[in-house]
Order: sequence, then C-alpha cells, then structure tokens
Amino acid sequence: MRASLRPSDPAVSPAIERVNAELFTLTYGAIVRQLLTDYEEIEEVNKQLDTMGYNIGARLIDDFLAKANITKCTDFRETADVIAKVGFKMFLNVTATVANWSADSMECSLILEDNPLVDFVELPETCQGLSYCNILCGVLRGALEMVSMRTEVKFVKDMLRGDDVFEIRMKLLEQMPEEYPYKNDE
Amino acid sequence: MIVCVAVVGHNNNPLYLQSFIDDDNTLKFHYIVHCSLDVIEEKVSNSKRAGVNLNETFLGLLYPTEDYKVYGYMSNTKIKFVLVTTDQDSRDADVRNFFRRLHAAYVDAASNPFHVPGKKITSAVFAERVGNIVKSFGAPAPA
Repeated sequence: MRASLRPSDPAVSPAIERVNAELFTLTYGAIVRQLLTDYEEIEEVNKQLDTMGYNIGARLIDDFLAKANITKCTDFRETADVIAKVGFKMFLNVTATVANWSADSMECSLILEDNPLVDFVELPETCQGLSYCNILCGVLRGALEMVSMRTEVKFVKDMLRGDDVFEIRMKLLEQMPEEYPYKNDE
Repeated sequence: MIVCVAVVGHNNNPLYLQSFIDDDNTLKFHYIVHCSLDVIEEKVSNSKRAGVNLNETFLGLLYPTEDYKVYGYMSNTKIKFVLVTTDQDSRDADVRNFFRRLHAAYVDAASNPFHVPGKKITSAVFAERVGNIVKSFGAPAPA
C-alpha cells in the first residue's frame, strides 16, 4: 500500500484531509470505465471527462485559494508555476515542471513524470484514442476560468500511449476583465 | 527451470497460462494445470476438515509427474496459481517467494480498470512481470 495522497508539506495547510491513493485511483478508473460503457465513443468520453473536470475545477479553485496561502499572481508565468508547484502538490501529491514556453509567454507545458491516476492502468487496443487523464485538462480550464483566464488545455504526451512523460499544453486565450454583475447606479 | 505458470479463476476458468519452453506444447500444460485443480480442491477441503490454518495460501507440492513438479497457491478469493517446474529439489522458500510475487503481480493486473474480473488477463505488463519473476526464480532475493 502506498502512503496517503496528500502531502505533508508545510507550505500547505496541515488541516487538509487525505485519501488513500489506491481508493482514489480505482475510483477514477471506475468512472472512466463507466463513461466508456455509457458513451461508447472514445471522442465523446474525452469530451465528457473534460466537462466533468471543468465542473470540478470551477469548485476546486475556491478550496485551493482558501487553503494554499498564496497571493494574487501577476502574470501567466507565475500562475503556471503555482499550478505546477502548489496545485498539483496539494491535490495529487506530485509536482509538475513548467517548460516549453512560447515566445509570447501565452503558452506552456506542464510536465508530469508521475501521475497517481494511471497506477495499474493499461489502455487496451480498442481504446488507443482515449485521453485517460483528460479530466485534469478540464480541472485546469475550469479553475483558471474562475480566476478570469480563459485557456485551452490539452494533453500532448501521454505515458499510456507510450510517451515518456505526461505533458499538458496550456494556452492562455484571453484575460477576461473582471466584470461586476451590477451597474454603479443600481 | 520453470516451464509453465498459470492463473486460474474461482470458477476454475483459465485466466492466464504461459509456457516458458520452446516446443510450444501449451496444450500439455493446460492438461497438467487442469489435473492440478482437482488436487487443489482436495487439499483445500482436507485442510478445512482438519481445521488447520485457513489463511495459508501456499498449498505446496500438488503432484509430481514424470518430468515435472507441480506447485499450487490459492488466494483467499479462490484465484489459483499453478507452477510447473522441472527442478526436482526446489527450496520451499523459493517457491513461496515466487508465488507471493506472482500474487502481487496479479493484484496489480486485476486493478487495471480495463481488466474485467473473470476474463483472461491480456495485459502485456503482467506478462512481462511474470517473465521477470520466472527469470529470477531461485536467485537470491534482490536487496
């Protein structure tokens, strides 16, 4: 049995609850399996995972900001660093490396060498197009959208498909200006 | 030398069988493994009647044939592991250790969400791990 999933890092509040890594991995596996049975088409499953992730991310960001003791990020580079070093550490107990910045600092890669979601998993022949961890893309997209960054997130390397690492490509589409839901004179 | 390793499900359905010699006569091993299932059943029901330790998973030598010795191991979920070897004097500890590692490999293969319980194990990773376990059989345990 592996140790529990959440870190004992002092940077992260000690009040965070932990969950057994295998329980987590197997639960996620069951979800993906069920989606495959329900939707039958791989592309549709990828899309559903992304949507589910989006909904998770949109909620998770509040949890993250409340517990992570971080200040507002000044630019996208800092955001990427916080996601890689604090976010992944807090929720998956792994750290990602930020790499391959595009010249205009709008696009970067998060590289994961270890990913608790894929312990035990082997993609069968029939599911080669499946992006098994696509939920992570959705989570990132959802979370960033809640802090007014519209992004496009996708997997470009996947260890389940034979690559040596997991690489998530993150592209900042636009910084949405903060809008107030009411006008001043109301 | 180990010539065959087999995993058999709780309804005595074959889950995995791999022979490790060249003449590729897997049918013969299917036959040997099939015969060993009766012995396993007998051993288990005997030990139940005698009231001995029910948690013992290692069943020991099941039966010797002219060329081979057959060892068995049954998990608490009634998954049987069968080992066919040409060695006439394998150390008990080696065989136990072999089965323990095989069991661990099986558990990981069964945890793959794409594996359907009760169906054949098709995983390439599992096959590779079994190959490694077979190769290191009898060698001193890695530190």
